[in-house]
Amino acid sequence: MTYFVIFLGICFMLGVLAVASNPSPYYGVLGLVLASVVGCGWLVSLGVSFISLVLFMVYLGGMLVVFVYSVSLAADPYPQAWGDWRVVGYGLGFVLVVCVGVFLAGFVDFWKVMVVTVDSGGMSLVRLDFSGVAMFYSCGAGLFLVAGWGLLLVLFVVLELVRGLSRGAIRAV
Amino acid sequence: MSPLHFSFYSAFTFSCLGLAFHRTHLISALLCLESMMLSMFIPLSMWPLENQTPSFTLVPILMLAFSACEAGAGLATLVASTRTHGSDHLHNLNLLQC
Repeated sequence: MTYFVIFLGICFMLGVLAVASNPSPYYGVLGLVLASVVGCGWLVSLGVSFISLVLFMVYLGGMLVVFVYSVSLAADPYPQAWGDWRVVGYGLGFVLVVCVGVFLAGFVDFWKVMVVTVDSGGMSLVRLDFSGVAMFYSCGAGLFLVAGWGLLLVLFVVLELVRGLSRGAIRAV
Repeated sequence: MSPLHFSFYSAFTFSCLGLAFHRTHLISALLCLESMMLSMFIPLSMWPLENQTPSFTLVPILMLAFSACEAGAGLATLVASTRTHGSDHLHNLNLLQC
């Protein structure tokens, strides 16, 4: 089980590497979907299943779907594929930077293999993340209002950004 | 350093490097921003697990809400650039040339 969780962590890193060194935004979105699916599996195996479901539905099902539609708006009709040598060069360069940083900082402690999980001995009615997020509505009601106000404000921000007919700074046409 | 901590540290580093070395499209820079948010969300949800404090579970939910705001603003910039110049290539954003 420990090795499965570490495998999920490695798949997360590979997905984000695919986003960073993408040949075309289509493959970047694929990498992001892979990274978020693997991240959800990682969070479930650590014990916080509610946070994982929130990530799955809000991030993967909401935001990434919007990103996929925007990629279809904005990307090339004939995309490059993974076999281009410049793309492989970017990917290897990023891996080399991280490896050199790890070596210089002395972070290599991989023989202490451990996975932190929530200690679930016996049955529990309320888990850690359920009770924590429920505080968002009771003690953190002010933060809840601030977040809701911010989300409402973003609607008007988006309206102003795409306003055309020489009224905005971005759309000069 | 535990392997899981190394995993999201390096994922954040990859995303920062991908944002710094963006090449053609604005949307690939926006995708690197989104992967930075994802690689911050996962350690923020592991933090209440490791410290056994349930009230910190509020922080990743709040971060997800503000990351949705930022993604909306970035995509609006993308749509504005596409409607003005016909594509989202970064050499179109050249008003600040010296």
